[in-house]
Amino acid sequence: MAEMWISMGPQHPMTHGLWTLKVKVDGETVVDTEPDLGYIHRGVEKICEARDFTKITTYCDRLCYASANTWSHSYIYAAEDLLEVEVPERAEFIRVVAVELQRIASHLMWLGAYCPDVGNLTGMVWCLREREMMMDLLQELGGSRMHYNFPRVGGVKRDLPVGFAMRARAKLALFLDRIQEYEALLDESTIFLVRTQGVGYAKPEEMVNHGVTGPNVRAGGVNYDVRWAHPYSVYDQLDWEVAVERPSIKGADNYDRYRVRVEEMRQSALMTLDALDKMPGGAETHFTEGDEMIISKAPVRAPEGATGFHHFEDSRGESMFYLVGGGDGRGKNPYRCSIRSPMFITLPYASKCMIGYKVADIPSIMGSFDPCIGETDR
Amino acid sequence: MGDWLNVRGWVGDISFFVSDNTVGMSRFWEYKYAVAGLMTEVLMATIVFATMMLTMLAIPWIERKFIARLMDRRGATTSLRSLWVGEGGHHADWYDNVPFGLGKPIRWLNKFLNEKVGNASDIHSVNRVKDRGYHGIWFLIPGLFQAFADFTKFASKEWIVPAKADRFMFEVAPFIIIASTVMIFAFIPFGPHIWAANSDMSLLFMMAIFGIAPLGVFFAGWASNNKYTLLGGIRSVAQLTAYEIPLLITVLSVAILSGSLNILEIVDFQLTSGTWNIFLLPLGGALFLITMIAEVERIPFDMPEAEAELVEGWWTEYGGMRWGLLFAAEYMRSYAACLLFAIFFLGGWETPFADIFGLLGSNQDLILGGIAIGLIGLAFILRNVLPALAAPLPILFLTILPGLVWMLLKAWLLFTVFVWIRASLHRIRTDQILEFGWRWLLPLSIVNLAIATWLRLFVWNGSEWPLAIPALITAITLVLFIILGIDEDKSQIQGRERPYSIQSDSPASTRTDR
Repeated sequence: MAEMWISMGPQHPMTHGLWTLKVKVDGETVVDTEPDLGYIHRGVEKICEARDFTKITTYCDRLCYASANTWSHSYIYAAEDLLEVEVPERAEFIRVVAVELQRIASHLMWLGAYCPDVGNLTGMVWCLREREMMMDLLQELGGSRMHYNFPRVGGVKRDLPVGFAMRARAKLALFLDRIQEYEALLDESTIFLVRTQGVGYAKPEEMVNHGVTGPNVRAGGVNYDVRWAHPYSVYDQLDWEVAVERPSIKGADNYDRYRVRVEEMRQSALMTLDALDKMPGGAETHFTEGDEMIISKAPVRAPEGATGFHHFEDSRGESMFYLVGGGDGRGKNPYRCSIRSPMFITLPYASKCMIGYKVADIPSIMGSFDPCIGETDR
Repeated sequence: MGDWLNVRGWVGDISFFVSDNTVGMSRFWEYKYAVAGLMTEVLMATIVFATMMLTMLAIPWIERKFIARLMDRRGATTSLRSLWVGEGGHHADWYDNVPFGLGKPIRWLNKFLNEKVGNASDIHSVNRVKDRGYHGIWFLIPGLFQAFADFTKFASKEWIVPAKADRFMFEVAPFIIIASTVMIFAFIPFGPHIWAANSDMSLLFMMAIFGIAPLGVFFAGWASNNKYTLLGGIRSVAQLTAYEIPLLITVLSVAILSGSLNILEIVDFQLTSGTWNIFLLPLGGALFLITMIAEVERIPFDMPEAEAELVEGWWTEYGGMRWGLLFAAEYMRSYAACLLFAIFFLGGWETPFADIFGLLGSNQDLILGGIAIGLIGLAFILRNVLPALAAPLPILFLTILPGLVWMLLKAWLLFTVFVWIRASLHRIRTDQILEFGWRWLLPLSIVNLAIATWLRLFVWNGSEWPLAIPALITAITLVLFIILGIDEDKSQIQGRERPYSIQSDSPASTRTDR
C-alpha cells in the first residue's frame, strides 16, 4: 500500500489539545511524523510585560488547564526571587499542599485521558471521579474549580479553611485505596499490558539530550526531580521519595510512563498528608486573611536590572520562569518574562518516538507523554 | 415441543380462516392453501421483526444503565447498585414489596453487601463522591424511551454525502449492512412457535449472512474517500480473517453435537437430551463468546471503529438516519449474537431446571397455563388469609412463562456480559488480534471440534446424555477456571522486583549532601 500523510488534528480525539500531528503511514505502520504547533499561542510572555507582578498570577494560571496551580506557583517563586521576599513557613506548607493536590489532579486527568486512548472508558470515569475530590479540595482553597489564583507574592491568598485538614486526610486516604482500583483495572489487564509494554521506547540519554524532564525522563531511569535535586520551598522537610522507573535496556516504554505517574500520585498524596501533619501552627487552626503567618509584606516595584529565576517541578516536567525587573520605567511590571515549558521541549521528541509503531499506537504513545498544549503554545 | 404461546398456530389458523372465506369462496378456491401459507409467512415475518425491534429496546437500555453502574458515573443515572442497595443515606426496600416474600434472599444478600462493601464513611464530602440518589425502581423505566428520542433526532438530520465520495457505493454500503443484519433475524426463533423461516440448513445460511456485513463495512470505508474510514475498512477485513474461521468451526462443533444444521432442532436436541450444550462444550461457549464479540466489533475488538486514533473509523463520514440505522444494526448484531449464544449453548427457550421441577417446562399448553394463572391469582388472594398455603404456589409462575420470556432473559443476561467486557477491557491492536486469532482461537476451536466429535460418536447413546458426562465436564471446567483465575502466587509477586521501583536511597528529608 502506498504511503500517505494523515493529518491528526487540530480536531482529533488523539490530540488532547489544539495541535496537529501529521503522520505518514505505510498501511498501519508509522513512517514519519511532523508536529504542528501554535494554534493557541496567546503571547502570555508579552502580556506579562504590561501587568503588575501581582496580576501576572492569573495569566500563569491559564498556562495549563489541567494543572493551573503548579504554573502560578512556578511564577510566584520567580517573582519572590526578583522582589526578594521572605515567605512565612506556614505559607510554604500551604503551597506544598496546594501544588501536590494539583499534581494529583493533573495526573488523574492524564490517566483519565490515557485510558480511552487505549480503548477503555471506565478508567476515565473512575479517574475523574477521584479528581473531583481533589477539585473540591482545591476549590476550598482557591474558590474556583479550574483557575485558582491561589498564591500571592509573599504568601498565599488565604489560610486553609476550617475543617480542610480533616477532609483532605479522609479524601487522600480514600484516594490511596482507589489507586489500587486503577492498578486492578490496568496492571492486571493483559490487553493493557500488551498495548503499553514494549511500545514507544524513549531512550534516557536521548531524552536528556533533548531536555525532556519530569515524569517522562524519570520513567527512563533518570533520577531528576527538581523538588529533590534542588529543593525549594519545604520539600526537604517532608517524607517522600522520588518515583523513578528502572526501564529496560531499550528505554522507557508506555508502561514505564504510566507506572511512574501512578507512583508519583501516591507519593504526592503521602507528601500532602505529611505536610498537613508538620504544618507550623497546626493544620486545624485558621488564620485570617493577611495574617503574617500566611503572607508577608512584599514590595510592589522591582529595581531595574534585577532578575528573578526559579525552576519548578511542574506536573509535566521542569518549568522555569525568568523575570527581569524594571519594565515600563516604573518598576511595577517585569521588563521581560520568559517561560520555559516542559511540554514544548517534550512534544517534538515524543513525535519521533512513534516512528516504526502502528497507527493504533499513536494515541497510546502520544498520550503517555502527557501533552498539554496550553503551556506549549503559551 | 411447544408452549401455549402458539403464535404460529394462531396466525396460521387466522390466515386459513381469512383465505378460506375469501379465496376459498371464489373460483380460485384451489389456491386457498397457498394464499393462507403466504399470509402466514408474511405475518410471521412481520411479527418476528416487531418482536425483535421491541425487545431490542432493552439492549441500549442495558448498555447505558449497566455500563454507567460499572463506571460508577455520577449524574442522573439511577443505576443498578442504587437499585440494589440504595445510596445516599437511603436503603432500597423494593424487595420488601415483592409478593410472597420472594424478595427476602435479595434482602439478605443486600445486607451482606452493605456490611462488606458499603460506604461506611461518615464524612459528607467523602460520601458525596459515591452519593447517588435512590429514586425508586420506576425511575428506571423512562430510560427505555431514550431510543425513540434518538430516533427522532437522527430522522430529522440532514443527509450529507462527501463531495469526493464514490456516491453509489457510499449509498449502497449501509443497505448491505443493515439488510444483512435484519436478515439474520429471519432464522432466529424467539420461541418454539415464533420464527419467520425454518429451512433445513438455517444455521449455515445464517452464519453466511452474518459474514456479509464486514464487506459492507469495507465498501463504506473505501467509498467515503477519507483516510480514517479507509483504515477502518481495511481493519475490518483484516480482523475478519482472524475470527471468522474459529467462529465457524465452533458453530460446526455445536452442529455436530446436536446432529443438525437446523436451529430449531438444535434447541429441541438440548430440550430432549437432558442437558444444555454449555455443560458439554464449555470451551466452545467461551470461544463462541469471544469470536462473536469480534464479529459484532465491540470492545476489545472494535478496531474498525477505534475512536482514539481513527475518529470514528469507517463510519466517520456517515450522518443522519443512515448513521442511526448503522448504529442500530450494530446493536442488532450484538443482540443476534446474544440470542445465538442462548440458542446454541443455553437451551434456547427452555425453562431452567424444567425437568427437575418435573413441571410443564417444555410441554405447556393453554389449559395448564390457565390453571396455573388461576392458582397464582388464588394464592395472591389467599396470601393474607392462609400464608402457608399461598407460599409454595408462586413456583407455578415459572411454569406458565412462555419460552419467549426465558429466551429473552437469557439473551439480555448475555448482553450484560458483553457490556461487562466492554467496561473492563481495552482495545487491542490489529496485529494482536490476528496473532490471538491464529495462535489461540484457531487451535482451541479445533480442540473443541474434536471434543464435540468424540462426545457425539462415543458418548451419545441415541436418546440422552449419561448424566455423569456433563457433570464431569462442568466440574473439570470449574476447577480449571478457578486455577487459571487465581492470581499469581502472592508471595512470588512480593518477592519479585516490582514493575516500578523507587531508586532514591533515602527520603529527601534525611538527605545531608545538599
